[in-house]
Amino acid sequence: MAEFLTGAALFILAVTALGLFRVLRSELAVERMMAVQLLGTGAAAALLLLGAASNTPAMTDVALLLMLLAAFSCAAFTLGQSDEAADAAAPKGDEP
Amino acid sequence: MNLLLDLALVAWLIVLAIHVARTGDDRNAIIAFIAFGLLLGLAWTRLGAIDVALTEAAIGGGITGLLLLRAEAHLRRGRQAGSAPRKASGATSIVAALASAAIALGLGLAVLAFPSPAPTLAPPALAAIDATGLGNPVTAVLLAYRALDTLLEKVVVLLALLGVWALTPDHLWGGAPALKEANPPQPLLYLARTLPPFGVLIAVYMVWVGADAPGGTFQAGSILAAMWLLVMLAGLRPAPETRSRLLRLLLVGGPALFFAIGFLGFAVAGGFLAYPEPLAKALIVGIEAALTVAIALALGLLVAGPSSKAPAP
Repeated sequence: MAEFLTGAALFILAVTALGLFRVLRSELAVERMMAVQLLGTGAAAALLLLGAASNTPAMTDVALLLMLLAAFSCAAFTLGQSDEAADAAAPKGDEP
Repeated sequence: MNLLLDLALVAWLIVLAIHVARTGDDRNAIIAFIAFGLLLGLAWTRLGAIDVALTEAAIGGGITGLLLLRAEAHLRRGRQAGSAPRKASGATSIVAALASAAIALGLGLAVLAFPSPAPTLAPPALAAIDATGLGNPVTAVLLAYRALDTLLEKVVVLLALLGVWALTPDHLWGGAPALKEANPPQPLLYLARTLPPFGVLIAVYMVWVGADAPGGTFQAGSILAAMWLLVMLAGLRPAPETRSRLLRLLLVGGPALFFAIGFLGFAVAGGFLAYPEPLAKALIVGIEAALTVAIALALGLLVAGPSSKAPAP
């Protein structure tokens, strides 16, 4: 059973990695942001499987944290976006 | 299967690291770096270092990403204001690549030169753990066996914050740092309302579980800081004025309590930072709780930067 769970984790990570490199090379900023979300989801799934495979319940906590911070980094990404929008509207950049 | 998974993970980490280094645009590099931090957290769990994995996920995935993105947004604004964009010349890239290769090689040699099996203090650390009342040997090392190191680390975080505050111009001293986005997008507002309750719950859980299972003050502190920053970014709550007495008391409170209990050790347990045995766990959890608040505030204010508004009269 442990072998199967590890194999499933490996598969999920492989699929996530393929998706990650496709998304990271994207031209659209929003799609690149989704790379972090994708990795958060994929890594959390892999961690849960690996935690079950190695019987380490603490891995669930790491998965929990990854989910929380992946969502948080999505918010961090909006930083400076509104500047850009403001700059596009009024090209005179204001000093902080 | 385990070996295959580890090899694949190492390969992905290296490819992602190369991607970060090769990406020309700063913001894209930072996003890939955040992803790298999350993946590195996964790698640490493979080494059985769950405490490190939690810290890496909290710092690498949360605080560092925000700090770097803020710095990048600031630089971009400066660049738009006039100065020419920097361009790395070919020679600079080659020198940087050679220096990185030398460091990687040196680190590799150093790791390979370790004696095998590595000298370890893990058995004595586990043997003495009953005296502390804790169940997590990492917390026992951090707050009981090597409490002095932890104490000094917390003071270093405060010193770093002083360093950032020292950059404040005179007329803005004591004011609030400007963190709020000019016009926060709706999804950010939504996230800033929904995420913090979960974040605070997880942080409290982290401190509490840290006594017996992986977790602890630094992880919890960085989660709290991340949630606080989210609320401030969305403008739901203003950033506090740095002259606020309550803020400064809370910042100093954690390390001060640690020092006080440390000196109390002379009177009760016969040495600096020695805990009386029946109270050890209660004291350690108390110190952890106070330190969590101090770390959360210090990390949040470090990311927020020096104050950029004059203090309200």
